[in-house]
Amino acid sequence: MKNKTILITTLAVMVCTDIVAQETATKKPPFSISGTAGVSYEYYGLSKKPKGWTGFSPRKPWNQVRFNFSPQMQFGKNFSLPFNFNFAMKPTNYAGPYSGITKQSFGQFITNPMNSFGLNPKYKWAELQLGTQYLNYSELSTGDIGVFGAGFDLRPGTYSIKFFTGLSQQGVNFFTGPPATNGAYKRSNWMFSLGKAKEEKYEVAINFVKAKDDSTSASPPPLLIKPQEGFTMSLVSKVFFNKGWYVKMEGAQSIYTKNLLLPLDVTKASFKPFIEAHTSTVKDFAGDAAIGKKGKNLDIGLKLKYIGAGFQTPGYLFMLPDRFDYTLNTRFNAWKNKTGGYKMNVVASAGQRVNNVSNTTLKAKQFIGNLNWFTQFNDHLSLNVSFNNFGFQAPGGINPYGIKNVSNDFGVNPTYTWGNDKVIHLLSLNYNYSKYDERDVITGLVTSNNTHTALLTYVPTFLTKDLSPDFSLMYFRNSMPGFTLKLITFSAGLGWSAAKKKMNFRAQAQYNYSKTNSFSNNNNIIASLNNDWKVSKKLTWTTFISTNQFKYGNEIVTNNARYLESNIRTGFQYKFGK
Amino acid sequence: MKKIFLIAGICFTSHVCLAQLTTTLVVVPQPPGTLINWGTKELTYIISNQAGSVIRNFIVKAELKESNGTVVAKTNLAKARVRTIGPATLILYAADVIPLEVMVFTGRHKTSLERTGKLPAGNYELCLQLVTPIDFLPFSEVRCRNFTLAAFQLPIPMMPANEQVLDAEKAQTSVMFRWTPVAPRPSELVKYIVTVFEILDRQTPMQALRSNQPLLTKEIIGTTQYIWQPQLSFAKTKVWADDIQADSLYSKEDKAVMDSVDVTTFIWTIQTVDSRGVPFGDGNVNSDGISEPNVFTVIKDRRKIKTGPPLRILYLNSMKNRRN
Repeated sequence: MKNKTILITTLAVMVCTDIVAQETATKKPPFSISGTAGVSYEYYGLSKKPKGWTGFSPRKPWNQVRFNFSPQMQFGKNFSLPFNFNFAMKPTNYAGPYSGITKQSFGQFITNPMNSFGLNPKYKWAELQLGTQYLNYSELSTGDIGVFGAGFDLRPGTYSIKFFTGLSQQGVNFFTGPPATNGAYKRSNWMFSLGKAKEEKYEVAINFVKAKDDSTSASPPPLLIKPQEGFTMSLVSKVFFNKGWYVKMEGAQSIYTKNLLLPLDVTKASFKPFIEAHTSTVKDFAGDAAIGKKGKNLDIGLKLKYIGAGFQTPGYLFMLPDRFDYTLNTRFNAWKNKTGGYKMNVVASAGQRVNNVSNTTLKAKQFIGNLNWFTQFNDHLSLNVSFNNFGFQAPGGINPYGIKNVSNDFGVNPTYTWGNDKVIHLLSLNYNYSKYDERDVITGLVTSNNTHTALLTYVPTFLTKDLSPDFSLMYFRNSMPGFTLKLITFSAGLGWSAAKKKMNFRAQAQYNYSKTNSFSNNNNIIASLNNDWKVSKKLTWTTFISTNQFKYGNEIVTNNARYLESNIRTGFQYKFGK
Repeated sequence: MKKIFLIAGICFTSHVCLAQLTTTLVVVPQPPGTLINWGTKELTYIISNQAGSVIRNFIVKAELKESNGTVVAKTNLAKARVRTIGPATLILYAADVIPLEVMVFTGRHKTSLERTGKLPAGNYELCLQLVTPIDFLPFSEVRCRNFTLAAFQLPIPMMPANEQVLDAEKAQTSVMFRWTPVAPRPSELVKYIVTVFEILDRQTPMQALRSNQPLLTKEIIGTTQYIWQPQLSFAKTKVWADDIQADSLYSKEDKAVMDSVDVTTFIWTIQTVDSRGVPFGDGNVNSDGISEPNVFTVIKDRRKIKTGPPLRILYLNSMKNRRN
C-alpha cells in the first residue's frame, strides 16, 4: 500500500512538472486560420473503334467530383480546431468491403474508405478525435485502417493515453449482380494505448487493438467471408543513444477468431473480457527489432521481423503471416571535394525473407540486394551505378522441381553538364539490363527473360528565361524464347510562366512505337497540358488535360483496333489565412 | 441362452446390412491447410438411401491419419450432430463431416491448429463412415481418400519494390512488375491479376486500394512478370499540390526537395484466383486472394539546376527523414 502511494505521488509530480515545462511563453494571436478548401472535377472519356470491340476497359470513373475542406483554426495559444473532410460523390471501390457497390447508404458513404470526415479539436495536450481517423499506434498493432468514430489522444507531459472506437466498415448485403457485390459484415473497432516518451531519448507504449464483426449486419450474408473477431496487444519500445545510435523493438500477441458463427470453445485461448475463443480461434505472436546508427554521412541499420503463421491483427488488413525477414541497410558519403562536401554517395541494402516458416519442408527463401552508387567526378561529369537482385527459391515438395526465380537488374547512368551564364545543358544516358529467370517446376527448364533499356535525356536550363524544355528518347527491348517486344518512346516537354508568373504551364507530348514479334507495330500518342493559375493570393485554379490515342497493328484479333482516352481534371483550391 | 444371443446377433447384422447406405467421398488432391477454409469444393460426401428404405438417423464418424497411419484427429461421437436421411440422396460438405467443434486433434497437429488454424504440410488420409447414434455401430462402408496439404503461400509483389522510386522518363514507357509465384505450385492452374491504383492526393495507400478504380487490371497465367505500358502523363497528375502539413513534417532542406518534384504514387498488388475465378488459397487473410501490396512512386525532376545524386535518391532520403 505504501509503495503504491509513493508510486502514484511520484507519477503525479512527474506529470505536473512536465506540463508546466511545456507551457512556454510564446505569444500567439487570439485567432488564426490556415489550411485549404477546394473542389475538383474529373472527366474521363473513352472511345473505341471498331464499335463493340472489348479489348480495352475504362480506367477511371466517367465523372467524379471531389471535395476537400481542411482548415486549421487556432484560438489563442492553447486551442486548435483542425478539420479534415475529403470526399467524392461516386463510389469506385474495387477491392475491400464496398467493392462493386453503386448506391451506398448514408452510413456506407460516411465509412467508405474513399471518404474522410475528421475533426480533431485540441486543447493544450488533450486532443479529441472525431470522425474518420487513420491512427498509427505501431507496426504490429494498428496503422492502416480508417475508423469512423470517437476517441482521444492525451499527452500530459511525457505520458500518452490514447483511445478510439468506431466503425471501419458498414454491413453490405451480398448481391449476385449485376453489378455483383461481395458483401461485408459491419465491423466495430476499439484501440487503446498507454505510453511514455521523451523526444530523442526513449519511447515505450503498450497497445491494445480489437475488432469485431456483427454477424447479423448483412442479409443475405457474404458468400466467401465469415464474421471475424480479432484482438492484438503489443509492447513497443524505442531508445535513442548518443551519436545517433538507436534500438527499436516490438512484440505482439494476437488472438483471432476466423469464424464467429462456429461455437465457443473453452479449451482454446481466450483473453476475457476482450475476446472469448471459438473453435476457429488461433493465437500467435509477432516481433520486430531494429538497431542502427543515423548520422550526417553514415547510416547503418539492421532490421528483423517475424510474423507468426497465425498472427493476424485487425489494424493491418493485408499483413502477410508466416515469415521472417532480416535486412541490413547502409548509406554513406565518401571522397571529400574541395568545398568540404562529398563526391560519392552509396545506398545499399541486403537481406533475406523466409516464407512459410512454420512448415520446415516448404520454407521458401528470398534474397534481396540493392546498391546505388553515385559519384560526382567534377563539376561536369557524374556517374550513377545501380544493381538490384532478388531470388526466390522454394523446395520441390509436391512438384518434381522447386520454384526458382532470379531477377537481376544492372543500371549505369553517366550525366554530363556544361554551359555559360545564359544556359546550362544536361545530357544524361541511362542504360539498364534486366534478366529474369523462371524455372518450370514440372520440367525443370529455365526460361530466361532479358530486358535492355536505353534512355537519352537532354535538358537545357535557361537562366534568363522562364522556359524549361526537356527531351528524351528511350529504347526498350524485352525478349524470351518465342517472344520479343520492342518499344521506342520520344518525349518532349515545355514549361513556361505567364501573367507575371501567376500562370505556370507545362505541356508534354510523347510518341510510343511498340512491336511484338513479327506483327505490325502499334502506335501511341500522348499529349498533356497542365496549368496552375494563381487567380488571387488565396485562390489557385489547377487544370490538367491529357489525351491518349492508341492504335494497334495486327497483334490482336481485331486488327487495327484503336482507342482514344481523354482526361480532364480541374479544381479550385482556396488557401485560408495569410 | 447362448443360442438366443447368436440368433439375435445374426438378425441384427442382417438388418444392418440390408439397411446399408451407399456412400461416396471426394476430396481434392491439394486442399488448403487452413481447415476452416474447406468448403463445398474441397470435400463432398454423398450418401444415397435406396428408394423405399426407412428413415434413418446417423452420425458421420471421421478419422484423419498421417501417411504413416498415425491418427491425427477423430470425431467426438458423443458431441457429433445426429442427422436424418430418408429415401433420397444427401450431400454433405467439409463443415458437416469434419466440423472443428467435434473433431479431437492430438499432438503437434493440435498445437499447429490452435496457433495457426492450419495442419502441418504433408500427406494425409481421411476416412468417413456412418454410425448409429447412441451405440455408434457402423452401417456403411468406410470410405477413405488421400490428399496432400501443401500450405500454399500467396504471391509476394517484388518489383517495383515497396517504396521504390522510378523516374518518369522511364516509367512513361514501361513499368516492369514481378512477383513470386504461389508456393508450392498448386496442381490446378492459377490466375494472377495484377492491379495498380493511383494514390490520389490526401489518400493513404490503403484508402486508394480499397476505394479507387484500378488503372490496370491484367490477368496473367503461367508467368510472374508483366510489362505495363502505362500510357499516362506523369506531369503533375495531382490536382492538389500543396500539403498544408508539409512544413511540420519536413525540414527546410527536405521540403525544398519535395517542392522540386512532380509526384505520382501508386499501390499495386496481385490477386490470385483459381480456374473458376474464386479467390485462391491459404494465407489469404481477407478471403479475397489479395497479397500484401507495394507502393511505388514515379517522379519528374523539376529542379532548375540538376546536380548531385539522382533526385529519386534525394526524394527517398527526404521521405525517410519525415518526422513522425
